[in-house]
Amino acid sequence: MADTQTITDPPDTVVAAIRELLKRRGTGPTDVRPESGLLADLAMESLELAELSVALADELGRDPFSEGLFPETVAELIAFYAS
Amino acid sequence: MLLELVREAAGQTTAPPALISPAGALSYRECLLRGEAVAHGLARLGAARFGCALAAPADTLVALAGSAAAGCEACPYPPGLDEAGLAATAARLGHDRVLADQGRPLGGARGMTLGDLERDGSDRPLPRRDRAPVLILTTGTTGEQKGARHDWSRLVRAVRRPDERPGTRWLLAYNLNQFAGVQMLVHALAGRATLVVPASRRADDVIEAIRAHAVTHVSATPTFWRLLIGRLDSRGAAELGLAQITLGGEATPQGLLDRLRDLFPHARVSHVYAGTEFGSVVAVHDGRSGLPLSVLDRDASADVRLRVRGGELQVRSDAGMLGYHAHEDDAGGWRATGDLVEQGADRLHFVGRTSEIINVGGAKVHALPLEELVCSVEGVELAAVYGRPNPITGQIVAVDVVAAPGTDADELPGRIHEACRRLPAAGRPRRIRVVPALETRGGKLLRHEAPASG
Repeated sequence: MADTQTITDPPDTVVAAIRELLKRRGTGPTDVRPESGLLADLAMESLELAELSVALADELGRDPFSEGLFPETVAELIAFYAS
Repeated sequence: MLLELVREAAGQTTAPPALISPAGALSYRECLLRGEAVAHGLARLGAARFGCALAAPADTLVALAGSAAAGCEACPYPPGLDEAGLAATAARLGHDRVLADQGRPLGGARGMTLGDLERDGSDRPLPRRDRAPVLILTTGTTGEQKGARHDWSRLVRAVRRPDERPGTRWLLAYNLNQFAGVQMLVHALAGRATLVVPASRRADDVIEAIRAHAVTHVSATPTFWRLLIGRLDSRGAAELGLAQITLGGEATPQGLLDRLRDLFPHARVSHVYAGTEFGSVVAVHDGRSGLPLSVLDRDASADVRLRVRGGELQVRSDAGMLGYHAHEDDAGGWRATGDLVEQGADRLHFVGRTSEIINVGGAKVHALPLEELVCSVEGVELAAVYGRPNPITGQIVAVDVVAAPGTDADELPGRIHEACRRLPAAGRPRRIRVVPALETRGGKLLRHEAPASG
């Protein structure tokens, strides 16, 4: 069978990485939408952003924070991988 | 001196072998005769110092015994050096001659073989020497290897005559280029014991050597022990029948001591604090990790003294090295060990190395307590905690773990996160990888990001 499932989809990977982080907070479900602000809505702390940056670097090969960018929303984060 | 220890043991009517390896056994008698021949060969050459790159530990033992008797400084090289590495090591240490196996390419270094030395010997008695140097390279887990110059007479004097019973067999879990390996060698020869060399340092080969040659005593690093007991259940451990378990070279965690005591209820379990530069400092037998605070109370006449400055253990030793190669004046006085400790009610606890502090947004995180916590998680066989560069916090805490056999690797990160939930946020692992193996050098864990594989 062709192994097409192993191709990583950046939007799914970004959302899954954020959900994994939020799940571990243990504060109940948080809605992750494209317009959600990483700081404003999801209330991510610097250590959570640091964790997100390494998770994305490992999964997708690069991450915006290491390139000096600071996306404010989930959509901006996803857009980074479209560039 | 070293050859004298061999001579004393060889004079016993029921001398056991000095060393058993997959290649065969070396008797004390044979070791004595070959060592004497090598000493004569070295004396005839007039060599003052040489590098020793022999593959077989039995040959290295003969070379060390012979060089000690000749007063000629041997420096055992790390195993596995390629041609360029060997030539570079010889050049860096100023070795004009390298003792190596016949036919080994030396990349321009001037070679000699044991056969040359033994053949060139004479029957004249060797002059008695009170001092004989040996150069031992540091493990270099956090930097370049340095050459620590020791004296065989000091090394032999520092070993208490072991009161072990006849028939003691020590597993040689270290290489003879390591200080711990040289200490092991001196200890075994002084006790007229037998060293057993496994086919490799892989856990299965080690267990096979212990079983096949009825090894009674094993001294190894905590990392080595973790890998070994990962392959043993309580029945398998009982079958090994070990009488002495010694841990050294790295800090020994309490969880590992407890596990060893459970698996080997009839063995004495000890951990030792020693260093290539300052020699053996203390052996602890009470089953607790860390060092008793009483080690700080030794009076000024003691050979080895300890103190804590800025959270770091310092050692002053009269039994340690003579000095570094090419830096002879760097021997005396108090020496920083690089080991960070915290002082408890009656104990010094090791928390990490100065070179391995993880700085997470200004918060300092130490590797050892976190590694111990992670290793206590069900299904974790071995863990390495290290700092990973990060654009937001400077570093984050990362941990690579090896799963115990039969463990579902996918479940480990969740369990580890759960176990670390109560730690301060900066101290929690932010990246957890399950890896097939962790990198070690000289049996010691290397704490850095290894390339993901498998």
